[in-house]
Amino acid sequence: MKDAQITLQINGEEYRLNVAVNRTLLEVLRDQLGMTETKYGCGTGECGACTVLVDGDKAINSCLTLAATMDGKRITTAAGFANFGELNYIQQAFTDEAAIQCGYCTPGMIVKTASLLAKNPDPTEQEIRHALEGNICRCTGYEKIVKAVKKAARTAPGAAVAEPAASVEVAQ
Amino acid sequence: MSSRILPDFELLMPQSVAEAVGLLSSYGRRVTVMAGGTDVLVAMKSTPSPEYVMSLANIPGLAHVLFEPAKGLRIGAKATIADLLANPDVKRHYPSLWHAAEIFATGQVRNTATVLGNLLRASPAGDCSCAIYAIGATVVFQSESGRREVDIDDFWLSYGVTARRADELAVELLLPPPVQGARAAFRRLTRTNDDLAKLNVAVQLEMLGDTCTGARLAMGCVAPTPLRLRHTEALLKGREITAELLQRIVESVPAEISPIDDKRSTAEYRRQVAGVVLKRAIEDACRAA
Repeated sequence: MKDAQITLQINGEEYRLNVAVNRTLLEVLRDQLGMTETKYGCGTGECGACTVLVDGDKAINSCLTLAATMDGKRITTAAGFANFGELNYIQQAFTDEAAIQCGYCTPGMIVKTASLLAKNPDPTEQEIRHALEGNICRCTGYEKIVKAVKKAARTAPGAAVAEPAASVEVAQ
Repeated sequence: MSSRILPDFELLMPQSVAEAVGLLSSYGRRVTVMAGGTDVLVAMKSTPSPEYVMSLANIPGLAHVLFEPAKGLRIGAKATIADLLANPDVKRHYPSLWHAAEIFATGQVRNTATVLGNLLRASPAGDCSCAIYAIGATVVFQSESGRREVDIDDFWLSYGVTARRADELAVELLLPPPVQGARAAFRRLTRTNDDLAKLNVAVQLEMLGDTCTGARLAMGCVAPTPLRLRHTEALLKGREITAELLQRIVESVPAEISPIDDKRSTAEYRRQVAGVVLKRAIEDACRAA
């Protein structure tokens, strides 16, 4: 087949789509749906700018995923964490710590942070750096980003006692 | 070619192993099989595209990582690197493989890339490939004519080429049960942490006290395929592991390898460090007990 009918749940909303089979999930998000918060960086799975979550807390590179193979999946992008324009605690922590200089890597960083905190609500610095190894920043520098993740962990709703899954709940 | 746009191809999405095997039987080498896609899609962005891509996404099952003390470890074709890491039996009984998985690529890639895909890519740099080679394993293929098992020792034929026949689907990897007194370790060198290895090494030792009664030593990035250091294995076997023996091993390794210059390192550097990295891995294994 050259085209596929798929259903994706993106940030809590259902989309029925006809996609060309050679389109990546990233291309469908950006070009077909106009959701440009997820960025194209390297196209080869090294930079993490295209990171999205699949089915809750599984972070993947959307540039290395064929949309046609994602039928029925729940996708969360960086925009999915905001609630009617109000930043969530991860986004707020990145802003507060000025970990957002040019902003290009930020959506991927936010998404990967959400995936980390869902599994490990109180990570050590080493765990944070290991978790972000697939997200490259070329201008802010990693110090502020690591600080932002630490702040996000401290300011998570019900920090340290929260249900892990609650920290990545998609705004409906 | 562009890293942004994928060329045209026909996507096959079989719903079962039987259907997948039927498609392979019909189309043979015109099909590229894709599980996680982290290698296949990168390759398709830079080299001429295959006519057909067959995704395993809709085939139920095949994502298992199952340990049984008497039988060993079974890893399904769709099991990801992250699935290995999530399994406490892997960490406990196959620590070198667990370590290779832990430092494999990035979190995003670990969530998608499959263990069998790493073997089938037949790159000499595969981290899990190196660890699995030292442990020993059997790859299980399925075709319309039935099931075929290939020992990992006979699996890699040359760069990018495996023993898989055009009509076969690799469905499972079998690792032997852990041996009493066995010790293992994995080490690698990279330019940056998430980079492909410039050199990797895995050791599997069987020890009786301080005496090594059996050894499998695997090294990557030093030959067209992952390489077993059979000469060095023979040096270890039946001997007590002493500083003197380790020094002989450091000196014997360069003669067994045929590294090249590439963008990650040079042949000269690889030759210089290979023996030392192997020595340190043997020391790690001895300490691990």
